[in-house]
Amino acid sequence: MNNKPIACATLTALALVASAPGDAAERQINVPNLIMERCSICHADDLGRLVRISAQRKTPEGWLMTVVRMQQQHDLGLSDDERRALVKYLADTQGLAPAETEGARYVLERRLNTVENFSSEQFTQMCARCHSGARVALQRRTATEWERLVNFHLSQFPTLEYQALGRDRDWFGIATNEIVPYLAKNFAYGDEQWQKWKQTPRAPVAGEWSLSGHLPGRGDFNAVMSVSQRANDHYALELRGNYADGGALIGQGAAVVYTGYEWRGKVEINGVEMRQVFALKGDILEGRMFVADHDEVGADVLAARQDGGASRVLAVQPSYLKTGTATELSIIGSNFDGELVLPAGIKVEKLLSRTPGRIVIRALADKRALGTHQVKVGAAEGGELAVFDKLDRIEVVPPYAIARVGGNGGPAPKVDARFEALAWAKGPRGEYRVGYVPAKWSVAPFNEDAKRDRDVEFAGSIDAKTGVFTPSFAGPNPLRHLMTNNAGNLAVIAEISAGGKPLTAQGQLIVTVQRWNNPPIP
Amino acid sequence: MKHLKALNQKARLLDQAVAEDQVEEVIAMSAVAGCTATVDPGWEVDAFGGVAGLCQPMEADLYGCADPCWWPAQVPDTMMTYPDWSKDAPSAKENWRNLDNVFPKDAL
Repeated sequence: MNNKPIACATLTALALVASAPGDAAERQINVPNLIMERCSICHADDLGRLVRISAQRKTPEGWLMTVVRMQQQHDLGLSDDERRALVKYLADTQGLAPAETEGARYVLERRLNTVENFSSEQFTQMCARCHSGARVALQRRTATEWERLVNFHLSQFPTLEYQALGRDRDWFGIATNEIVPYLAKNFAYGDEQWQKWKQTPRAPVAGEWSLSGHLPGRGDFNAVMSVSQRANDHYALELRGNYADGGALIGQGAAVVYTGYEWRGKVEINGVEMRQVFALKGDILEGRMFVADHDEVGADVLAARQDGGASRVLAVQPSYLKTGTATELSIIGSNFDGELVLPAGIKVEKLLSRTPGRIVIRALADKRALGTHQVKVGAAEGGELAVFDKLDRIEVVPPYAIARVGGNGGPAPKVDARFEALAWAKGPRGEYRVGYVPAKWSVAPFNEDAKRDRDVEFAGSIDAKTGVFTPSFAGPNPLRHLMTNNAGNLAVIAEISAGGKPLTAQGQLIVTVQRWNNPPIP
Repeated sequence: MKHLKALNQKARLLDQAVAEDQVEEVIAMSAVAGCTATVDPGWEVDAFGGVAGLCQPMEADLYGCADPCWWPAQVPDTMMTYPDWSKDAPSAKENWRNLDNVFPKDAL
């Protein structure tokens, strides 16, 4: 039961490159031998077969959490290289098919403001009241293994039967007789999708990728990501591009592809360590890229392979035009071949530049183009371009967010919250999405409790221009009633001016305390 | 409930929630990915969707609840899983800065 710390890589740029996934030492490890040598000590049955391990399938992060638990709780001795090699092998041989992760990728991508909504209330109460439901939905087990997981929970966390939603029912009876069959049916081990995926040829990865993205608090960006193979499933990366605000985006790093499609990158961009959690879908990469130590700071990313991939339109940046206002637009895509065709009512005033992955124009729209459109370049069609005359309303995105106090000498950094104002317009065929617009931001007490406890004063502050909320410091605050923490329940208010008329919208922000158990799947 | 009188703030919140039929809202609040709101009290959010009903400052009685696995997904429990987690912080109120994360960084 000794809790042994695991060596962590020093977080410097040099260490990032030195410890990048795919180091030669990791690749030379014979994992089947490693499993027989270290895992079978506890996991082999009387006939020498591996039990438990062979009846589960998980994501790379799921296997990582299992292996780390074996290290921390059961004294499994592994070097960092051995752990990485073992997780890679398990994710490759007993992973999830792409379709099996759909609807739950938000936890892998660390979108931790997601409000989960499962059709089974019982599942929510029994499983997702302590950790994310997605942690469960990203596993496949046999019925016996799901039952063992229930038994594990009760032995490892015995007070779960005394908590609310535990003590007021026959928790163990429900878990065994109702939840286990539910999990065995909905998250079955031997899914056809996995068998089918194992037979699917793997998509090529090396070459140039055209990449588009959007970073809340900063805006749109595009880049070319050059990918070169270092070894099987291991790649070196270089990124060169620009933010829409004119700033350069330059970076390099490495990536590993698990299970044939789970792309995990470690890159340093403009001196900041970032992580990439993408899904490889043929010649498309899609997911999120976030700051390593601040996963709340992250960008949605969509990329297409230039070398050998299809001709595609990925995004239009910005995603909207106001009628009568000439605006510079970037059309991001791959292998552009043919004429740029814009919808009727949108005129190209000037072609500013063109490459196979990016066309920059100055465009002017009139009222004929009101509404939303896709953009065509040759045979390719995609992206979203909205044309509006007048904005009708805005909404705060995300509508509900969690920030956490931090710093003040403690090891947990502050967890920011980042808000954007999403604008909508009305057209003859109904309401349509315009896109993210600049807004003026402020916070207010969410309710009477927050007003009485002066949460606005203590919980932190929001940048009026960027919508980035920075929480206050961790620890008891002697200035608050009973020295309470700098938590708060805040209304987040966005305001814009639409044709001289103010439009406002409100979201909710919970500023709360730090957590010390931070696995990759919360 | 008519024979019971709310004596403290949390009890008054409970009365208010029942009166305002906020039960559905409470269940929705429990489902933010990875947060817990319904373990009486929750760790991040209280059962009423705010923070006024949490045990705060949490440093005042952290070990009394966290040691026996009250919020094991957020706070390491020393009873079963991480027996040495708080060895350098005998008083959470005084030594909370010595409490560290338990999952290794950059392990993948």
